[in-house]
Amino acid sequence: MMSSVTMTAILCRGALLLLLWWILTEGSRDGWLMGIVAVGCALWLSLRLVTPGSVRFSLTGLAAFIGFFIGNSVRGGVQVALIALQGRRALQPGTLEVQLHLSSPAPRILMAGTLGLMPGTVSVRLDGRWLRLHVIDERMPIAAEVRALESRIARMFRERI
Amino acid sequence: MIELVSTILLCVGGFFYFAGTLGLLRFPDVYSRLHALAKADNLGLGCILLGLAIQEESLAAALKLVLVWPLALSASATVSYAIARRADALGIKPWRREDR
Repeated sequence: MMSSVTMTAILCRGALLLLLWWILTEGSRDGWLMGIVAVGCALWLSLRLVTPGSVRFSLTGLAAFIGFFIGNSVRGGVQVALIALQGRRALQPGTLEVQLHLSSPAPRILMAGTLGLMPGTVSVRLDGRWLRLHVIDERMPIAAEVRALESRIARMFRERI
Repeated sequence: MIELVSTILLCVGGFFYFAGTLGLLRFPDVYSRLHALAKADNLGLGCILLGLAIQEESLAAALKLVLVWPLALSASATVSYAIARRADALGIKPWRREDR
């Protein structure tokens, strides 16, 4: 007998994968048989790789993260574009070691990856809780920005930090 | 109206690609170049995809264009971390200003 957690996971993930197939085929109905097979395989793989109920995930947290991410992507892009236009004299690079409060590996990896797209930072090395960053301008308030991102990620994964 | 917004977005996207490439050529070391490439090009890609998506007539085709963004972002974030980590493992020191 399947648990209700597994049933919910199958329904939600199945619906998302069907939506993805619909997008990939641009709404065409020609390959629906192939689509069923592909969605079935992807669903099976997703259930094997991520056991239902093993990851606690918040949808409102995801929405907040996406909003935060888009805003900061724009800021990061504009900032680095301005520095590039001014050339080398606008640079004041340095390195920074930060200790992450996130407790599981997946959110930490997401954090290291995301920081590469956020204003002023590139992740250089993630070693357990320690993350070494290269910062483009030491005068920026990098530590505060790192904490702001970390709290968004923690909320998305329902972690308490 | 859509035509105009789309054109503006495409031009803005092109500008960020230009700035990213400028940074790649002008910045002094591998780490600073990663800043320019990852951030400016990703914003450029986002603008171009959005500019193309609003021209699409079908919703599915527009969403397909928008989906390219997170895919390219995760690839570029992963690759930029891999390059920075390798550079660090090889002992490449970040460029510092001397006049401080």
